[in-house]
Amino acid sequence: MRHLTVFVTALILLLLNGVAAADSHLDLTAYEGKVVIVDFWASWCVPCRRSFPWLNAMHAKYADDGLVIIGVNLDREPAAAEEFLREYPPSFRIYYDDSKYLAKEFGVVAMPSSYLLGRDGAIRKRHYGFKVKKQEEYEAAIVAALGDLE
Amino acid sequence: MRAFLFIQGLLVLGIISGCSTMGVEPWDRDVLAKEEMQLTTDPVEAATDDHIYFSKEASSGGRGFGGGGCGCN
Amino acid sequence: MKAKNKKSITGTLAAATCTLLGSSALEPVQAQEDPGWDFNTSLLYYGEDNDRVQDLSLKALTRRTFVDDRFLTVGLTLDSLTGASPNGALPQSVPQTFTRPSGRKTYSTAAGQLPLDDTFHDSRVAVTANWQQPLGRLYQFNVGASASKEFDYLHLGLNAKISRDFNQRNTTLSAGFAVAQDELDPIGGTPTGLTLMLDAADDDDDDDDDEGRRKGPRETKDILDIVFGVTQVVSRNLLVQVSYSYSDTSGYQTDPYKIISVVDGTTGDAVPVIPAPSNGPSHLYYFEHRPDSRAKHSLYTQGKYYMDGKVLDVSYRYMTDDWEIDSHTVDLRFRWPFGGSSYLEPHLRLYSQTAADFYRLSLINGDPLPEYASADHRLGDFDALTVGLKYGWKTSGGNDMSVRLELYTQSGDISSSQLIGNQLGRDNYPDLNAIIFQFGYQFGK
Repeated sequence: MRHLTVFVTALILLLLNGVAAADSHLDLTAYEGKVVIVDFWASWCVPCRRSFPWLNAMHAKYADDGLVIIGVNLDREPAAAEEFLREYPPSFRIYYDDSKYLAKEFGVVAMPSSYLLGRDGAIRKRHYGFKVKKQEEYEAAIVAALGDLE
Repeated sequence: MRAFLFIQGLLVLGIISGCSTMGVEPWDRDVLAKEEMQLTTDPVEAATDDHIYFSKEASSGGRGFGGGGCGCN
Repeated sequence: MKAKNKKSITGTLAAATCTLLGSSALEPVQAQEDPGWDFNTSLLYYGEDNDRVQDLSLKALTRRTFVDDRFLTVGLTLDSLTGASPNGALPQSVPQTFTRPSGRKTYSTAAGQLPLDDTFHDSRVAVTANWQQPLGRLYQFNVGASASKEFDYLHLGLNAKISRDFNQRNTTLSAGFAVAQDELDPIGGTPTGLTLMLDAADDDDDDDDDEGRRKGPRETKDILDIVFGVTQVVSRNLLVQVSYSYSDTSGYQTDPYKIISVVDGTTGDAVPVIPAPSNGPSHLYYFEHRPDSRAKHSLYTQGKYYMDGKVLDVSYRYMTDDWEIDSHTVDLRFRWPFGGSSYLEPHLRLYSQTAADFYRLSLINGDPLPEYASADHRLGDFDALTVGLKYGWKTSGGNDMSVRLELYTQSGDISSSQLIGNQLGRDNYPDLNAIIFQFGYQFGK
């Protein structure tokens, strides 16, 4: 019961704020059954600017099929992230990884980093950096993951 | 001359071997991403100075390369 | 369930499969957003005191950004040079006359003045082009070309560089090389080194057996440069770089317009031509002669340190070559931002060099001629100091503008052991004082 309360509170906060309160861990188990893109970005990372319109496009196209995108922000200050988000408003969730625990858990070695989790919650694909020329490849991976119904 | 090259080689090796312990996480490059933190901040000014000093002195160039920055992509 | 998830994630924790990107030395490159153009332009005034060299220069660097971190950069420089430069002869207590490089006229220097040749009102055009792209994720590749033309000089060059990132892009190794061929077609032909300056001749025969002068073929020199560098991120606020470069030049490196005074072994005064010619040099002067090859080694190190908005840039370069020239260059810049979009940047540069082994103030009359000799101050012992201040701001349109004013002073010293007779009382090596004023404008970003 307490777990559920915490979980629901966290979800509400996420939905209401856009950028989650610091230090609350992201519960990915909530997304089991969905295909999740965990995308690590920061306001000073220029390829991230390129990736946001594409992520919005993917969200528009596949959200109904079960795609969830979580933009994990790794800025030092949420204020810097907020300025970026005003310029590139996302249609997907933003999580502020204040303690950087999520980045370390995923083993982020480059910026930006994007992890594609299948419906079973396991990492199917990851890519470091964002290349315009590889957009089709990235999208094909999403479609393949969506196609695997457990 | 030989000693000079030897020291240079040591420096480079030292840097390469020591470097695996040095550095920052990929998400800690906000300062390094700033324009004023690039090794050559203004290439036109740098080229101007290089040309002036090359014309008036006996040394030239020696300026290094890239690296640093946001480390993206 | 939670435990299972955690395992899936941490199970794929990559061991350091480092990914890469270095940044170009040409432009402060961050992975660019959209394909587009940006421009970096400047107007420069360089002026030395005492009617010496003045240069007005327009520079423009244009960069076209292509998708996925690929860049084409094209540069253009236009220079207009006026004024006079020292011809290598020593000041005397009597007036001196010299034959112009064209060989047709003469010019004179007053007593006590540093002899300057004001023949040259020159224009120079230089172009550069550079292509940069990643190679896979690990490497970055640059290739470029350069060319420049003055009325008597042509330069053509090619360069290439490759770099690779290690340790999650905290370390970058680079290697590069450049080759160039320069061609010199001196006005009036190439004088034979260590022969006497001749009288002016009104008729300009283009024959090769004019004693001491020959016309064509053009003189050339080939230059090879190789550079190796390591850049290391030391901490969030500190970036360090070390590079080693080797440069090899072979071919004609003499300055065809520079001479050396011939002096009496006792008085140290220039030896006059007797009887004085009606249209020619007043004293004995030899054309200089430099070796055909030169090998240089440089060690360069730079650090950039961020301190709460301010940036300190310190660099040191040591150069040594087989002409026995050693030099040290220390360069300090401190960028101090204020007002949100402006900055002040004081600049200090300290330079010192030792003379080339064939550098000499004068030649002694009657002594056997050396194989190589030059009185060009630029090959002598001297210290130089640059002090400057740069002010930068953002225009209302969001573009960057800057102005900088710098003072450059060069002061040479000849040890008294090298001075002869009356040379001891004279200022044989007058200081060089110059102003550098540059206005910069960057737009299109």
